[in-house]
Amino acid sequence: MSADFGLDLAVLDRDGALEEARAGLSRRSFFVGVAAGAGGLLLYRGTDAPAQTAADIDVLNYALVLEYLQAAFYTEAEQAKAIKGRAGEAASTVGAVERAHVKAFLDALGSKAVKRPQFDFQGVTEEPRAFLKTAVAFEDLAVAAYKGEAPKLQTPAIITTALGIHTVEARHAAWMRYLYGIRPAVNAFDEPRTRPEINKIVRETGFVTSTPQTRSSQAPRYTG
Amino acid sequence: MSARRATAAGLLCGAAVGVAAAALVTGGSAGGAAPATPALPGLPAPAGQGLAIPRPRPLGPQDHVSQWAPVRRPLVARRRPAAGAARVTRLGLRTPEGTRNLVRVLGRRTGADRRVWVHVALAVLPNGSTAWVPRRALGAYEEVTTRLVIDTRTLRATLYDRGRRVFRTRVGIGRAESPTPRGDFYVRNRLERYRSPAYGPLAFGLSARSETLTDWPAGGYVGIHGTDRPDLVPGRISHGCIRLRNADIRRLGRLMPVGTPVRIR
Repeated sequence: MSADFGLDLAVLDRDGALEEARAGLSRRSFFVGVAAGAGGLLLYRGTDAPAQTAADIDVLNYALVLEYLQAAFYTEAEQAKAIKGRAGEAASTVGAVERAHVKAFLDALGSKAVKRPQFDFQGVTEEPRAFLKTAVAFEDLAVAAYKGEAPKLQTPAIITTALGIHTVEARHAAWMRYLYGIRPAVNAFDEPRTRPEINKIVRETGFVTSTPQTRSSQAPRYTG
Repeated sequence: MSARRATAAGLLCGAAVGVAAAALVTGGSAGGAAPATPALPGLPAPAGQGLAIPRPRPLGPQDHVSQWAPVRRPLVARRRPAAGAARVTRLGLRTPEGTRNLVRVLGRRTGADRRVWVHVALAVLPNGSTAWVPRRALGAYEEVTTRLVIDTRTLRATLYDRGRRVFRTRVGIGRAESPTPRGDFYVRNRLERYRSPAYGPLAFGLSARSETLTDWPAGGYVGIHGTDRPDLVPGRISHGCIRLRNADIRRLGRLMPVGTPVRIR
Protein backbone atom coordinates (compact mmCIF):
# COMPACT_ATOMS: atom_id res chain seq x y z
CA MET A 1 0.00 0.00 0.00
CA SER A 2 0.92 3.62 -0.16
CA ALA A 3 1.15 4.51 3.46
CA ASP A 4 4.58 6.00 2.72
CA PHE A 5 2.81 8.78 0.84
CA GLY A 6 -0.03 9.12 3.29
CA LEU A 7 -2.48 8.05 0.65
CA ASP A 8 -4.28 5.04 1.98
CA LEU A 9 -7.97 5.33 2.63
CA ALA A 10 -7.58 5.41 6.37
CA VAL A 11 -5.47 8.52 6.02
CA LEU A 12 -7.91 10.06 3.57
CA ASP A 13 -10.52 9.65 6.20
CA ARG A 14 -8.48 11.58 8.72
CA ASP A 15 -7.23 14.47 6.69
CA GLY A 16 -10.53 16.08 5.90
CA ALA A 17 -11.23 14.81 2.40
CA LEU A 18 -14.13 12.85 3.76
CA GLU A 19 -15.20 15.20 6.50
CA GLU A 20 -18.83 15.27 7.62
CA ALA A 21 -19.31 11.89 6.09
CA ARG A 22 -20.57 9.74 8.82
CA ALA A 23 -23.05 11.53 11.01
CA GLY A 24 -26.55 10.28 10.93
CA LEU A 25 -26.21 7.67 8.23
CA SER A 26 -26.97 4.06 8.94
CA ARG A 27 -24.65 2.26 6.62
CA ARG A 28 -25.29 -1.11 5.19
CA SER A 29 -22.59 -3.53 6.11
CA PHE A 30 -20.29 -3.45 3.14
CA PHE A 31 -19.80 -7.13 2.78
CA VAL A 32 -23.00 -8.53 4.21
CA GLY A 33 -23.93 -9.64 0.74
CA VAL A 34 -20.63 -11.38 0.31
CA ALA A 35 -21.10 -13.30 3.51
CA ALA A 36 -24.59 -14.30 2.47
CA GLY A 37 -23.38 -15.29 -0.97
CA ALA A 38 -20.67 -17.42 0.50
CA GLY A 39 -23.05 -19.02 2.97
CA GLY A 40 -25.26 -20.91 0.59
CA LEU A 41 -22.58 -21.92 -1.79
CA LEU A 42 -23.47 -24.24 -4.54
CA LEU A 43 -21.30 -24.98 -7.44
CA TYR A 44 -22.22 -22.68 -10.25
CA ARG A 45 -21.43 -23.35 -13.85
CA GLY A 46 -22.29 -20.63 -16.31
CA THR A 47 -22.50 -21.30 -19.99
CA ASP A 48 -19.07 -22.29 -21.28
CA ALA A 49 -17.56 -21.21 -17.98
CA PRO A 50 -15.24 -23.42 -16.04
CA ALA A 51 -16.63 -24.96 -12.87
CA GLN A 52 -16.36 -22.65 -9.89
CA THR A 53 -15.86 -23.95 -6.41
CA ALA A 54 -17.46 -22.47 -3.32
CA ALA A 55 -14.20 -20.69 -2.57
CA ASP A 56 -14.06 -19.26 -6.08
CA ILE A 57 -17.59 -17.89 -5.81
CA ASP A 58 -16.79 -16.32 -2.48
CA VAL A 59 -13.73 -14.55 -3.87
CA LEU A 60 -15.49 -13.49 -7.07
CA ASN A 61 -18.28 -11.89 -5.07
CA TYR A 62 -15.78 -10.14 -2.87
CA ALA A 63 -13.96 -8.82 -5.93
CA LEU A 64 -17.29 -7.80 -7.45
CA VAL A 65 -18.01 -5.50 -4.52
CA LEU A 66 -14.64 -3.81 -4.94
CA GLU A 67 -15.29 -3.45 -8.65
CA TYR A 68 -18.73 -1.97 -7.94
CA LEU A 69 -17.02 0.58 -5.72
CA GLN A 70 -14.44 1.56 -8.32
CA ALA A 71 -16.87 1.59 -11.23
CA ALA A 72 -19.30 3.80 -9.31
CA PHE A 73 -16.50 6.17 -8.35
CA TYR A 74 -15.22 6.75 -11.89
CA THR A 75 -18.71 6.81 -13.38
CA GLU A 76 -19.79 9.53 -11.00
CA ALA A 77 -16.65 11.51 -11.78
CA GLU A 78 -17.28 11.25 -15.51
CA GLN A 79 -20.91 12.25 -15.12
CA ALA A 80 -20.05 15.26 -12.98
CA LYS A 81 -17.59 16.52 -15.63
CA ALA A 82 -15.65 18.36 -12.95
CA ILE A 83 -12.42 16.45 -13.49
CA LYS A 84 -10.78 17.93 -16.56
CA GLY A 85 -7.66 17.32 -18.64
CA ARG A 86 -5.53 14.24 -18.25
CA ALA A 87 -7.20 13.25 -15.00
CA GLY A 88 -10.60 13.42 -16.67
CA GLU A 89 -9.33 11.32 -19.54
CA ALA A 90 -7.98 8.78 -17.05
CA ALA A 91 -11.29 8.72 -15.21
CA SER A 92 -13.15 7.90 -18.43
CA THR A 93 -10.69 5.21 -19.49
CA VAL A 94 -10.38 3.54 -16.12
CA GLY A 95 -14.10 3.81 -15.50
CA ALA A 96 -14.82 1.95 -18.73
CA VAL A 97 -12.47 -0.81 -17.64
CA GLU A 98 -13.96 -1.07 -14.16
CA ARG A 99 -17.44 -1.33 -15.65
CA ALA A 100 -16.17 -4.16 -17.84
CA HIS A 101 -14.87 -5.92 -14.74
CA VAL A 102 -18.26 -5.56 -13.08
CA LYS A 103 -19.99 -7.02 -16.11
CA ALA A 104 -17.56 -9.93 -16.24
CA PHE A 105 -18.19 -10.82 -12.61
CA LEU A 106 -21.95 -10.42 -12.97
CA ASP A 107 -21.98 -12.65 -16.03
CA ALA A 108 -19.87 -15.27 -14.31
CA LEU A 109 -21.77 -15.29 -11.03
CA GLY A 110 -25.27 -15.07 -12.45
CA SER A 111 -27.83 -15.36 -9.68
CA LYS A 112 -25.05 -15.81 -7.10
CA ALA A 113 -23.83 -12.23 -7.58
CA VAL A 114 -24.19 -9.90 -4.63
CA LYS A 115 -26.23 -6.75 -5.12
CA ARG A 116 -24.58 -3.42 -5.70
CA PRO A 117 -24.24 -1.41 -2.49
CA GLN A 118 -25.19 2.24 -2.34
CA PHE A 119 -22.22 4.60 -2.58
CA ASP A 120 -21.87 8.17 -1.46
CA PHE A 121 -18.57 9.70 -2.52
CA GLN A 122 -19.36 12.94 -0.74
CA GLY A 123 -18.04 15.22 -3.42
CA VAL A 124 -14.59 13.74 -3.96
CA THR A 125 -15.57 12.94 -7.55
CA GLU A 126 -16.00 16.66 -8.16
CA GLU A 127 -12.76 18.02 -6.68
CA PRO A 128 -9.70 17.28 -8.85
CA ARG A 129 -7.15 16.79 -6.08
CA ALA A 130 -9.51 14.82 -3.86
CA PHE A 131 -10.49 12.73 -6.85
CA LEU A 132 -6.93 11.77 -7.70
CA LYS A 133 -6.02 11.14 -4.11
CA THR A 134 -8.97 8.82 -3.68
CA ALA A 135 -8.28 7.14 -7.03
CA VAL A 136 -4.74 6.33 -5.92
CA ALA A 137 -6.07 4.90 -2.68
CA PHE A 138 -8.76 2.83 -4.45
CA GLU A 139 -6.37 1.39 -7.00
CA ASP A 140 -3.75 0.53 -4.42
CA LEU A 141 -6.47 -1.01 -2.30
CA ALA A 142 -7.75 -3.13 -5.18
CA VAL A 143 -4.25 -4.35 -6.00
CA ALA A 144 -3.67 -5.33 -2.39
CA ALA A 145 -7.09 -7.00 -2.16
CA TYR A 146 -6.58 -9.15 -5.28
CA LYS A 147 -3.21 -10.19 -3.93
CA GLY A 148 -4.77 -11.11 -0.61
CA GLU A 149 -7.53 -13.18 -2.19
CA ALA A 150 -5.57 -14.93 -4.92
CA PRO A 151 -4.37 -17.84 -2.76
CA LYS A 152 -7.99 -18.75 -1.99
CA LEU A 153 -8.89 -19.35 -5.63
CA GLN A 154 -8.98 -22.98 -6.70
CA THR A 155 -9.85 -23.07 -10.39
CA PRO A 156 -6.78 -22.42 -12.55
CA ALA A 157 -8.74 -20.58 -15.23
CA ILE A 158 -10.19 -18.20 -12.65
CA ILE A 159 -6.76 -17.64 -11.16
CA THR A 160 -5.59 -16.64 -14.63
CA THR A 161 -8.42 -14.14 -14.95
CA ALA A 162 -7.89 -12.74 -11.47
CA LEU A 163 -4.22 -12.21 -12.21
CA GLY A 164 -5.20 -10.50 -15.45
CA ILE A 165 -7.40 -8.07 -13.58
CA HIS A 166 -4.84 -7.64 -10.83
CA THR A 167 -2.21 -6.38 -13.25
CA VAL A 168 -4.72 -4.02 -14.85
CA GLU A 169 -5.50 -2.58 -11.42
CA ALA A 170 -1.76 -2.17 -10.83
CA ARG A 171 -1.48 -0.22 -14.10
CA HIS A 172 -4.36 1.98 -12.97
CA ALA A 173 -2.61 2.53 -9.65
CA ALA A 174 0.56 3.60 -11.43
CA TRP A 175 -1.38 5.90 -13.75
CA MET A 176 -3.23 7.62 -10.93
CA ARG A 177 -0.06 7.94 -8.88
CA TYR A 178 1.68 9.58 -11.81
CA LEU A 179 -1.19 12.03 -12.29
CA TYR A 180 -1.23 12.80 -8.59
CA GLY A 181 2.45 13.63 -8.81
CA ILE A 182 4.04 10.77 -6.94
CA ARG A 183 6.29 8.01 -8.17
CA PRO A 184 4.27 5.13 -9.58
CA ALA A 185 6.46 2.34 -8.25
CA VAL A 186 8.79 2.58 -5.30
CA ASN A 187 8.45 -0.72 -3.46
CA ALA A 188 10.34 -3.88 -4.27
CA PHE A 189 7.45 -5.89 -2.90
CA ASP A 190 3.78 -4.99 -2.48
CA GLU A 191 2.02 -6.32 0.59
CA PRO A 192 -1.35 -8.05 0.29
CA ARG A 193 -4.25 -6.91 2.44
CA THR A 194 -6.51 -9.31 4.25
CA ARG A 195 -10.25 -9.16 3.85
CA PRO A 196 -10.89 -7.76 7.35
CA GLU A 197 -8.33 -5.04 6.71
CA ILE A 198 -9.95 -4.08 3.42
CA ASN A 199 -13.44 -4.15 4.91
CA LYS A 200 -12.41 -1.94 7.79
CA ILE A 201 -10.74 0.62 5.55
CA VAL A 202 -13.66 0.85 3.16
CA ARG A 203 -16.24 0.99 5.94
CA GLU A 204 -14.39 3.81 7.65
CA THR A 205 -14.45 5.99 4.55
CA GLY A 206 -18.20 6.33 4.80
CA PHE A 207 -18.44 5.78 1.05
CA VAL A 208 -20.82 2.87 1.56
CA THR A 209 -24.16 4.18 2.61
CA SER A 210 -27.80 3.18 2.81
CA THR A 211 -30.57 3.89 0.34
CA PRO A 212 -32.52 6.98 1.40
CA GLN A 213 -36.01 6.28 2.62
CA THR A 214 -38.35 7.76 0.06
CA ARG A 215 -41.42 5.61 0.76
CA SER A 216 -43.93 5.79 3.54
CA SER A 217 -47.31 4.42 4.53
CA GLN A 218 -48.39 7.73 6.01
CA ALA A 219 -51.69 8.98 4.62
CA PRO A 220 -51.17 11.68 1.98
CA ARG A 221 -51.94 15.28 2.79
CA TYR A 222 -51.50 16.52 -0.74
CA THR A 223 -54.11 18.94 -1.99
CA GLY A 224 -56.16 16.12 -3.47
CA MET B 1 27.08 -31.34 -31.54
CA SER B 2 29.38 -29.34 -33.73
CA ALA B 3 30.09 -25.72 -32.98
CA ARG B 4 28.10 -24.65 -36.06
CA ARG B 5 25.07 -26.72 -35.03
CA ALA B 6 25.22 -25.37 -31.50
CA THR B 7 25.28 -21.83 -32.83
CA ALA B 8 22.28 -22.50 -35.09
CA ALA B 9 20.34 -24.04 -32.22
CA GLY B 10 21.14 -21.05 -30.07
CA LEU B 11 19.94 -18.66 -32.77
CA LEU B 12 16.73 -20.61 -33.26
CA CYS B 13 16.14 -20.63 -29.53
CA GLY B 14 16.79 -16.92 -29.34
CA ALA B 15 14.48 -16.28 -32.26
CA ALA B 16 11.73 -18.30 -30.60
CA VAL B 17 12.07 -16.31 -27.41
CA GLY B 18 12.06 -13.10 -29.44
CA VAL B 19 8.89 -14.09 -31.25
CA ALA B 20 7.27 -15.06 -27.98
CA ALA B 21 8.25 -11.76 -26.42
CA ALA B 22 6.97 -9.86 -29.43
CA ALA B 23 3.68 -11.72 -29.21
CA LEU B 24 3.39 -10.78 -25.56
CA VAL B 25 4.18 -7.15 -26.23
CA THR B 26 2.03 -6.63 -29.27
CA GLY B 27 -0.86 -8.89 -28.58
CA GLY B 28 -2.40 -7.30 -25.57
CA SER B 29 -4.43 -4.47 -27.00
CA ALA B 30 -7.17 -3.44 -24.61
CA GLY B 31 -10.46 -4.92 -25.46
CA GLY B 32 -9.16 -6.77 -28.49
CA ALA B 33 -9.21 -10.49 -29.09
CA ALA B 34 -7.14 -12.43 -26.58
CA PRO B 35 -3.58 -12.79 -27.85
CA ALA B 36 -2.27 -16.28 -28.51
CA THR B 37 -0.19 -17.25 -25.52
CA PRO B 38 3.18 -18.58 -26.63
CA ALA B 39 3.83 -22.11 -25.50
CA LEU B 40 7.24 -22.57 -23.94
CA PRO B 41 8.78 -26.01 -24.15
CA GLY B 42 8.83 -27.87 -20.86
CA LEU B 43 6.11 -25.77 -19.25
CA PRO B 44 2.47 -26.82 -18.93
CA ALA B 45 -0.02 -25.02 -21.15
CA PRO B 46 -1.51 -22.03 -19.36
CA ALA B 47 -5.11 -22.25 -18.22
CA GLY B 48 -7.65 -20.37 -20.31
CA GLN B 49 -9.58 -17.41 -19.00
CA GLY B 50 -12.12 -18.29 -16.35
CA LEU B 51 -14.32 -15.29 -17.07
CA ALA B 52 -15.18 -13.63 -20.31
CA ILE B 53 -13.82 -10.11 -19.83
CA PRO B 54 -15.72 -7.76 -22.13
CA ARG B 55 -14.27 -4.74 -23.85
CA PRO B 56 -14.06 -1.55 -21.78
CA ARG B 57 -17.54 -0.11 -21.44
CA PRO B 58 -17.61 3.64 -22.13
CA LEU B 59 -20.21 5.68 -20.35
CA GLY B 60 -23.36 5.67 -22.47
CA PRO B 61 -25.34 8.72 -23.54
CA GLN B 62 -26.45 10.82 -20.59
CA ASP B 63 -29.17 12.74 -22.44
CA HIS B 64 -31.97 11.08 -20.51
CA VAL B 65 -30.26 10.79 -17.14
CA SER B 66 -31.45 13.02 -14.31
CA GLN B 67 -29.89 13.14 -10.88
CA TRP B 68 -31.27 13.78 -7.44
CA ALA B 69 -29.75 13.68 -4.00
CA PRO B 70 -31.07 13.40 -0.45
CA VAL B 71 -30.42 16.20 2.01
CA ARG B 72 -27.73 14.90 4.36
CA ARG B 73 -27.97 17.63 6.96
CA PRO B 74 -30.18 20.68 7.46
CA LEU B 75 -28.86 23.49 5.32
CA VAL B 76 -29.42 26.94 3.95
CA ALA B 77 -29.92 27.06 0.18
CA ARG B 78 -28.41 30.17 -1.35
CA ARG B 79 -28.90 32.29 -4.43
CA ARG B 80 -25.31 31.92 -5.57
CA PRO B 81 -22.58 29.32 -4.87
CA ALA B 82 -21.09 31.15 -1.93
CA ALA B 83 -21.52 30.88 1.82
CA GLY B 84 -22.28 34.59 2.10
CA ALA B 85 -24.83 34.70 -0.71
CA ALA B 86 -28.47 35.60 -0.10
CA ARG B 87 -30.55 32.91 1.52
CA VAL B 88 -33.32 31.30 -0.56
CA THR B 89 -34.71 28.86 1.98
CA ARG B 90 -33.76 26.39 4.66
CA LEU B 91 -33.92 22.68 3.82
CA GLY B 92 -34.69 20.08 6.45
CA LEU B 93 -34.02 16.36 6.46
CA ARG B 94 -37.62 15.21 6.08
CA THR B 95 -40.67 15.87 3.97
CA PRO B 96 -44.05 16.40 5.68
CA GLU B 97 -44.72 12.72 4.96
CA GLY B 98 -41.66 11.67 6.95
CA THR B 99 -39.59 10.55 3.97
CA ARG B 100 -36.10 11.80 3.30
CA ASN B 101 -36.07 15.25 1.80
CA LEU B 102 -34.46 15.34 -1.60
CA VAL B 103 -33.54 17.82 -4.28
CA ARG B 104 -33.18 17.53 -8.00
CA VAL B 105 -29.62 18.18 -9.19
CA LEU B 106 -29.35 20.68 -12.02
CA GLY B 107 -25.61 21.34 -12.10
CA ARG B 108 -22.50 22.00 -10.06
CA ARG B 109 -19.74 24.52 -9.74
CA THR B 110 -16.67 25.14 -7.63
CA GLY B 111 -17.26 28.35 -5.71
CA ALA B 112 -14.80 31.10 -4.92
CA ASP B 113 -14.34 29.34 -1.58
CA ARG B 114 -13.02 26.34 -3.58
CA ARG B 115 -15.87 24.20 -2.32
CA VAL B 116 -18.18 22.33 -4.67
CA TRP B 117 -21.69 23.76 -4.80
CA VAL B 118 -24.66 22.02 -6.36
CA HIS B 119 -27.42 23.83 -8.23
CA VAL B 120 -30.71 22.26 -7.19
CA ALA B 121 -34.44 22.52 -7.82
CA LEU B 122 -36.43 23.13 -4.66
CA ALA B 123 -39.86 22.17 -3.38
CA VAL B 124 -40.77 25.67 -2.23
CA LEU B 125 -42.91 28.57 -3.37
CA PRO B 126 -42.63 30.21 -5.76
CA ASN B 127 -42.77 27.07 -7.83
CA GLY B 128 -39.71 26.51 -9.98
CA SER B 129 -37.32 27.96 -7.40
CA THR B 130 -33.71 26.89 -7.64
CA ALA B 131 -30.74 27.54 -5.38
CA TRP B 132 -27.17 26.51 -4.59
CA VAL B 133 -26.26 24.16 -1.75
CA PRO B 134 -22.88 22.85 -0.54
CA ARG B 135 -22.14 19.43 -2.04
CA ARG B 136 -21.28 18.02 1.33
CA ALA B 137 -24.71 18.79 2.70
CA LEU B 138 -26.17 16.31 0.22
CA GLY B 139 -25.98 12.55 0.15
CA ALA B 140 -25.26 10.20 -2.73
CA TYR B 141 -26.34 11.13 -6.21
CA GLU B 142 -29.11 8.93 -7.53
CA GLU B 143 -30.08 8.59 -11.17
CA VAL B 144 -33.31 8.16 -13.05
CA THR B 145 -33.87 7.82 -16.78
CA THR B 146 -37.59 8.54 -16.66
CA ARG B 147 -39.55 11.77 -17.04
CA LEU B 148 -43.25 12.43 -16.78
CA VAL B 149 -45.15 15.00 -18.80
CA ILE B 150 -48.59 16.20 -17.70
CA ASP B 151 -50.50 18.01 -20.41
CA THR B 152 -53.17 20.15 -18.77
CA ARG B 153 -54.79 20.91 -22.13
CA THR B 154 -55.28 17.32 -23.31
CA LEU B 155 -55.53 15.92 -19.76
CA ARG B 156 -52.92 13.29 -20.45
CA ALA B 157 -49.95 11.96 -18.49
CA THR B 158 -47.10 10.46 -20.49
CA LEU B 159 -44.10 8.70 -18.99
CA TYR B 160 -40.87 8.38 -20.96
CA ASP B 161 -37.93 6.14 -20.15
CA ARG B 162 -34.68 6.98 -21.96
CA GLY B 163 -36.76 9.07 -24.28
CA ARG B 164 -39.14 6.30 -25.22
CA ARG B 165 -42.80 6.52 -24.30
CA VAL B 166 -43.66 3.73 -21.87
CA PHE B 167 -46.98 4.83 -20.38
CA ARG B 168 -49.81 7.15 -21.22
CA THR B 169 -53.18 7.76 -19.61
CA ARG B 170 -55.91 10.33 -19.06
CA VAL B 171 -55.86 12.33 -15.84
CA GLY B 172 -57.86 14.64 -13.67
CA ILE B 173 -56.31 18.01 -12.81
CA GLY B 174 -57.11 21.08 -10.74
CA ARG B 175 -60.27 23.12 -11.08
CA ALA B 176 -60.13 26.72 -12.26
CA GLU B 177 -60.06 28.05 -8.69
CA SER B 178 -57.33 25.62 -7.60
CA PRO B 179 -55.30 25.01 -10.74
CA THR B 180 -52.53 22.47 -11.05
CA PRO B 181 -49.35 24.55 -11.12
CA ARG B 182 -47.35 24.46 -14.33
CA GLY B 183 -43.60 24.16 -14.53
CA ASP B 184 -40.77 21.73 -13.96
CA PHE B 185 -40.92 19.62 -10.81
CA TYR B 186 -39.79 16.22 -9.52
CA VAL B 187 -41.20 13.26 -7.59
CA ARG B 188 -40.22 13.59 -3.93
CA ASN B 189 -41.75 10.50 -2.37
CA ARG B 190 -44.07 7.58 -2.73
CA LEU B 191 -46.85 6.68 -0.30
CA GLU B 192 -48.76 3.41 -0.23
CA ARG B 193 -50.58 1.04 2.11
CA TYR B 194 -52.33 3.97 3.78
CA ARG B 195 -56.05 4.12 4.52
CA SER B 196 -57.40 7.01 2.58
CA PRO B 197 -59.62 5.90 -0.32
CA ALA B 198 -59.81 9.39 -1.80
CA TYR B 199 -56.13 9.05 -2.75
CA GLY B 200 -56.46 5.52 -4.15
CA PRO B 201 -53.85 2.82 -3.51
CA LEU B 202 -50.74 4.84 -4.28
CA ALA B 203 -49.63 8.46 -4.20
CA PHE B 204 -46.52 10.24 -5.45
CA GLY B 205 -45.59 13.54 -3.83
CA LEU B 206 -44.28 16.26 -6.11
CA SER B 207 -42.09 19.26 -5.44
CA ALA B 208 -44.95 21.38 -6.80
CA ARG B 209 -47.13 23.36 -4.40
CA SER B 210 -50.55 24.84 -4.86
CA GLU B 211 -50.33 28.57 -5.47
CA THR B 212 -53.88 29.11 -4.21
CA LEU B 213 -54.29 26.64 -1.32
CA THR B 214 -51.24 27.86 0.56
CA ASP B 215 -52.78 27.15 3.96
CA TRP B 216 -53.51 23.51 3.11
CA PRO B 217 -52.23 21.08 5.78
CA ALA B 218 -48.56 20.15 5.36
CA GLY B 219 -47.93 22.99 2.93
CA GLY B 220 -50.29 22.32 0.05
CA TYR B 221 -48.06 19.99 -1.91
CA VAL B 222 -49.38 18.59 -5.15
CA GLY B 223 -49.46 14.84 -5.65
CA ILE B 224 -50.17 12.28 -8.32
CA HIS B 225 -52.49 9.65 -6.93
CA GLY B 226 -55.42 7.30 -7.41
CA THR B 227 -59.03 8.10 -6.66
CA ASP B 228 -62.32 6.77 -5.34
CA ARG B 229 -64.13 8.72 -8.07
CA PRO B 230 -62.84 7.22 -11.32
CA ASP B 231 -65.95 8.51 -13.07
CA LEU B 232 -64.52 12.05 -12.82
CA VAL B 233 -61.33 11.18 -14.72
CA PRO B 234 -60.46 12.79 -17.09
CA GLY B 235 -61.54 16.22 -15.99
CA ARG B 236 -60.75 19.45 -14.17
CA ILE B 237 -61.91 18.19 -10.85
CA SER B 238 -59.19 18.38 -8.17
CA HIS B 239 -57.68 20.83 -5.71
CA GLY B 240 -54.52 20.81 -7.80
CA CYS B 241 -53.42 17.18 -7.58
CA ILE B 242 -53.24 14.93 -10.61
CA ARG B 243 -55.66 12.07 -10.29
CA LEU B 244 -55.41 8.78 -12.14
CA ARG B 245 -57.72 5.80 -12.14
CA ASN B 246 -56.45 3.22 -9.66
CA ALA B 247 -55.36 0.70 -12.26
CA ASP B 248 -53.37 3.45 -13.96
CA ILE B 249 -51.67 4.70 -10.82
CA ARG B 250 -50.66 1.12 -10.00
CA ARG B 251 -49.18 0.76 -13.45
CA LEU B 252 -47.39 4.08 -13.14
CA GLY B 253 -46.11 2.92 -9.76
CA ARG B 254 -44.32 0.04 -11.44
CA LEU B 255 -42.60 2.33 -13.93
CA MET B 256 -41.82 5.63 -12.24
CA PRO B 257 -39.12 5.90 -9.56
CA VAL B 258 -38.78 8.64 -6.99
CA GLY B 259 -36.69 11.48 -8.37
CA THR B 260 -38.36 11.43 -11.79
CA PRO B 261 -38.59 14.93 -13.31
CA VAL B 262 -42.17 16.03 -13.95
CA ARG B 263 -43.12 18.71 -16.44
CA ILE B 264 -46.62 20.12 -16.11
CA ARG B 265 -47.53 22.19 -19.13
